[in-house]
Amino acid sequence: MAAPEVHHLFHNPIADHSFSADRKTLAIARDTTVELYRKVGDTFKLVDELKGHDKTVTSVDIAPTSGRIVSCSQDRNALVWEPSPQGYKPTLVLLRINRAATFVRWSPSETKFAVGSGDRLIAVCYFEEENDWWVSKHLKKPIRSTITTVAWHPNSVLLAAGSTDAHARVFSSFIKGVDARPDPSVWGERLPFNTVCGEYLNNSAGWIHAVAFSPSGDALAYAAHDSSITVVYPSGPDQPPKAVISINTQLLPFMSLIWNGEAEIIAAGYDCEAFRFKGGINGWQLSGTLEAKGRPGLSDGREDSALNMFRQMDLRGKVKDDTQLKTVHQNTITMLRPYESSGDSVRKFSSSGIDGRLVIWNT
Amino acid sequence: MSIIQQHSAASLSDAWRTINIDALQEDSSINFDTSTLHPPLPETSESEVRQINAQVRQLLRGGDTEGALRGCLEMPVYNGSDAAKEAHLQTVIEVLQSIKASEMTPMLQRIYGTPGGSECLDVLMKYLYKGMANTASSGGSAPRTPTRVTPQQTGFSQVGGRPGGSSESTGAAMSVLLSWHEKVVEVGGLGSIGRVMTDWRKV
Repeated sequence: MAAPEVHHLFHNPIADHSFSADRKTLAIARDTTVELYRKVGDTFKLVDELKGHDKTVTSVDIAPTSGRIVSCSQDRNALVWEPSPQGYKPTLVLLRINRAATFVRWSPSETKFAVGSGDRLIAVCYFEEENDWWVSKHLKKPIRSTITTVAWHPNSVLLAAGSTDAHARVFSSFIKGVDARPDPSVWGERLPFNTVCGEYLNNSAGWIHAVAFSPSGDALAYAAHDSSITVVYPSGPDQPPKAVISINTQLLPFMSLIWNGEAEIIAAGYDCEAFRFKGGINGWQLSGTLEAKGRPGLSDGREDSALNMFRQMDLRGKVKDDTQLKTVHQNTITMLRPYESSGDSVRKFSSSGIDGRLVIWNT
Repeated sequence: MSIIQQHSAASLSDAWRTINIDALQEDSSINFDTSTLHPPLPETSESEVRQINAQVRQLLRGGDTEGALRGCLEMPVYNGSDAAKEAHLQTVIEVLQSIKASEMTPMLQRIYGTPGGSECLDVLMKYLYKGMANTASSGGSAPRTPTRVTPQQTGFSQVGGRPGGSSESTGAAMSVLLSWHEKVVEVGGLGSIGRVMTDWRKV
């Protein structure tokens, strides 16, 4: 396995990151701005700062085809940044929420995006031609707490959301005039706006940190604060799911997860490294870490001279320098994104975290 | 006092910050019962707890400590009266105290390896924390249901009369719980501590 590509961008947390389709442009949510980096040779160079929010930017997403960037922030706003020859032009979105916006993602069709918020609702936003404005419709029931994460189904109608009320839910976000009628699927046939197609709760019920549909859209995975991931295989509308598989791990909670084909999930979080899960409808299990242990270049295996040892003892009062984690990331990983895919499987994925690093991994 | 001064005095006071705006909103989280978010748990009555406890004690007398431990961890009292919960805690602690230190890790590994074993370890972790909370916080004043873990005289109350034997036995009980805690973390990982904190099913 080739070594991961590590980019230490700055010494601040990265709330979210997103690559453009050509993977040359990288958007990073840092404090109250969205920073745009351009790949120059092997490194990323800061080329632009999108300033428009006045509180912490919580999430950012680049639409692959149109190149539009959407960002949302604790200032309760979302902005759509339209690329133009003079740079990016922001447009305010009418979210109508009175709590922080926490998470934003473009739908695969790029005609809509969903904004999760602390106002116990999801704003599904679309462009209204006659008013020349991004407007929103609210998914409200039965959400009882802050939405922490959302994920789109490949059909751009179904939307999965995780919340601090410990439920992962699947909603229909069908908007007349914007969406084509979706094909019937395991999640349901008739899907008017705000249909709840599924509602899932773990046994020990921790906050949901991440949700994701499998590439086919027929299974849903979510990660919760009880250090578990759960995979749900629905069987049809108004029927109990075919299988709900929950894996409680010995690890710390996961913050983000992605599917790699239908039989593999990659999850990462407070353990600062990514883990691989393998399985299917008959069961899932943790199959190991993606971190190559004992990689050369880590100071771990280095022999210390006696002089060095005594110097360390004198300087720091201890022999071993234990301020460095053995993982590539030096703090919690908060976001995983597919970077390079072939068909349904992910060949490379990127991770970002509180340590200000962006890492591109080979699966 | 000028108008300006009055005005600034009013706006500078930060009383408005303490207004609980959530209470004013009809559908806010404080206006609904959070327990309705979860399916209700089956209630365990005191007589059922006594029955489980009797079975567990019998296993214990028969020398089947692992069976006894499994028995009480598979039937945790999540929804029951305080007395029922307390009685079950007492049984768990009794079982824990009767297991030798050298047997702890292999036994936990065997339990973890079986289906549902991870859940059992999480339950054990809950009882360990509950046991520690009881030993640490219960003052001598309140007449509590006596557990094998003798309530400790906390803080300054110890200045008066030396509690002597009581504090020693508390220390012993605590050291049993702490050594179990260490072993459970070894087998069940940090995840099991996290699950004790997130879980809404309290023992």
